[in-house]
Amino acid sequence: MYKKIDLSMKFLGICLENPFILSAAPSTDEFDIAYNGLKAGWGGVILKTTSVEGNPVPLKYPMMSSFGSMSRKVIGLGNIDLISEHHIDEIEKRVKTLREVFPEKMIAASIMGAKKEDWQTLVWRLKKAGVDLIECSFSCPQGSMGEESGRMLAQSVEATEKVARWVKEAAEDTPVLIKITPQVTDIVEVAKAVKRGGADGITASNTIPSLLGLDIDTFEPYPSLFGKGAYSGLSGPAIKPITLRTIAEIAKNVDITISGNGGAFNWRDAVEFMAVGASNVQFCTLPMHYGFRTIEDLKSGFAHYLSDIGFNSPLDVVGKALPNIKSQDELPSPKTRAELVEEKCVGCGLCYSACYDGGHMAIDWDSEKRLPHFDDEKCVGCAMCMQVCPVDAIKMNEKIDGSNSVHYFVEKR
Amino acid sequence: MEEIEKTFSEEQAEIEAERCLYCYDAPCEAACPAHVPITEFIQSIRTSNLKGAREIIQEAHPLIETCGRICPEESFCQSVCTRIKMDTPIKIRELHRYITDNTDPSKNLELVPATKERIAIVGGGPAGLACARELRRFGYLPVVFEKKQLGGIPANEISATRLPEEIEKKEARFIHQNFVSEIKDATIKSVGELNKEYGAIFIATGLSDELDLDIPGNNLDGVYYSRELLKRAKSGTKLPHFKRVGVIGGGNVAVEVASVLKIEDPLRDVEVIYRRGIKELKAFKKEIEEAIEVGVTFQFLAIPKEIKGDKRVEGLVVTRAHLDEKDVSGRRHPVPVPNSDFIIPLDAVVIAIGQKADVYFPEVKRDEKGLIKVSDGLMTNVKGVFAGGDIVRGASTVVECVADGKKAAQSIVEYLEGGKNV
Repeated sequence: MYKKIDLSMKFLGICLENPFILSAAPSTDEFDIAYNGLKAGWGGVILKTTSVEGNPVPLKYPMMSSFGSMSRKVIGLGNIDLISEHHIDEIEKRVKTLREVFPEKMIAASIMGAKKEDWQTLVWRLKKAGVDLIECSFSCPQGSMGEESGRMLAQSVEATEKVARWVKEAAEDTPVLIKITPQVTDIVEVAKAVKRGGADGITASNTIPSLLGLDIDTFEPYPSLFGKGAYSGLSGPAIKPITLRTIAEIAKNVDITISGNGGAFNWRDAVEFMAVGASNVQFCTLPMHYGFRTIEDLKSGFAHYLSDIGFNSPLDVVGKALPNIKSQDELPSPKTRAELVEEKCVGCGLCYSACYDGGHMAIDWDSEKRLPHFDDEKCVGCAMCMQVCPVDAIKMNEKIDGSNSVHYFVEKR
Repeated sequence: MEEIEKTFSEEQAEIEAERCLYCYDAPCEAACPAHVPITEFIQSIRTSNLKGAREIIQEAHPLIETCGRICPEESFCQSVCTRIKMDTPIKIRELHRYITDNTDPSKNLELVPATKERIAIVGGGPAGLACARELRRFGYLPVVFEKKQLGGIPANEISATRLPEEIEKKEARFIHQNFVSEIKDATIKSVGELNKEYGAIFIATGLSDELDLDIPGNNLDGVYYSRELLKRAKSGTKLPHFKRVGVIGGGNVAVEVASVLKIEDPLRDVEVIYRRGIKELKAFKKEIEEAIEVGVTFQFLAIPKEIKGDKRVEGLVVTRAHLDEKDVSGRRHPVPVPNSDFIIPLDAVVIAIGQKADVYFPEVKRDEKGLIKVSDGLMTNVKGVFAGGDIVRGASTVVECVADGKKAAQSIVEYLEGGKNV
């Protein structure tokens, strides 16, 4: 009964009904699951990474682990998964069927190979099956084929350029995305290599190599397979800030289309990913955790955002924050001080504690009234107090010289 | 009998602990008479350091198993929780109970040798035990005089549905074994009996007698006194057979005895008859809620006038009341409504209108209610004789009595050592 706001957009020439894509992951490794995802309303699907026939995929279980608190158990999700176990024949069939059933959705596939022939054969077969787009996994934390064990293709600038060229050569007019890793010294060099190789875009980025934790009684890492564990690929809200930085760095330095991936958990995250340069956003941990039904709030929240801010298309968000991202030395030097909004303060004293033991001893504590008092002389304006305030009762102000007006810095929320 | 309240699961405890803001200079700690370091133990729950949490609470408080169950948190820590200004207070008592239910008393004790004087502690309730423990920590030899089971009212009267006997026994036994030099099965009635053998005396006898209800018929068969029934229930003795009972009073004891009677026989009609209104009930919220939960009913604004019956109780005549201005107790005063008498058919009446002090220890000065007068440091008019707990405060809570016991111990040390070592 409510008017729907149009979220459709073009991505590398492909029509997307919304910018939310299911990434190459467990959620896209079974036909029925991928089908259900598209049916639920996701804009597109990238089927889980496949490879040439004959390559065994020795999956190990249990493969998932996580960290978080009791009330929010999955802040970071780890996996020791590998590529799909399904044969390329099977993936081809799925692409054909999905293509028929969902003509309006983006149907893409992810591939990984070792030799040039592998990569190119995969591309030809999938292209023939009717994919809209091919994504190349250069960054599975469990290692890429043909590279040293545990090493990712995208960690080598030369290999990245070379393989990107092979793939694009075979793909011709079918768009190609290269999925890279933030686990490199200079992400810009890798992005430039992708561009030189001729690929159409970059998926930035992937899970991040990590160690999820240990059982401190037995010293077994998580997930533990009879006491032994391996490094996991980390996903979920924990990696969002790293992904934001990765996308922004690429977008600021290389003129190439970006698909955002890694840590987006809601429509607000998606807006942020797009504002630093992504044209769409891929999801995996969110639907794995709460199901495909999460697309409803993604679409609705994003649509309301667009209409509230006055944008006509999701693409209007893309890159909006980039001019504001500077290096530290380029930033202005405002004289800012913490200021208490007394009517919001609940008197917990956390700002006092943080400033006294971790800041500049610029807050006095009135234990009678349970109120902090900010000393403008001692306060340097670091904003640590603002981070710990449970009720957002602290603002950072800047008194404009020679006038009575005050400028307030943007708050965290 | 099964406990009514269930302890938190690990998940519940962790989620509740996560809600705690970990306030600086936390108001909950200041509001706890025993000054339990609440934020510290909650922080330890967050890190799954339950043994550490246990030590933190046990350091501050000797009767933590008891208080984890029956402390009226709404009057103390929880009433000032900062989170009230955001949403709802942290369930501090339940977190406290989660720790005590999932850990054993820490035996990791390091005590100085007990080489100092013997101190007489008259009464083995919360105040007496708290005082004994503190004194032992300072190297004294506490001697507790107690004829009943150690632990006072919580051990001997509080319903097993709120405080199981084995919990209370375990706790009292731990204090006995580790901190009490000797327990003497004797009733002490005067300071003079405790000759020069003791360096100081702490009177913590509590309130042993009950107030009478001065209305006709109060001597009929079927009229009982609340604490007598509670003691019988706690000791496992079957209560008298009656089917329709009115409990007169509005305090914790009245509500408690009503719950006990209802739980013992769910077919029994149990009604609390109170002369004021629901808001004026002195009983703690949790006790009232539990009483309603088990099926106790309430007759408010009913002033008892006469217990009717030939030899046995047959009913209670009450006069309807309306509430006037606030009286000295700070609660609105009940005024009889003319020509409004009515009779409640009953076969038993339980009187639970309050407690009073005994008249022992003639040497010490008392106030008009018979409560012992003390200085800020809890010393009576007799040098070296201290007093605390209900015999000083009137009916109060376990945690307040514990606070008195701790304070008295400090004062005794100060008295004997002249301010050194405190």
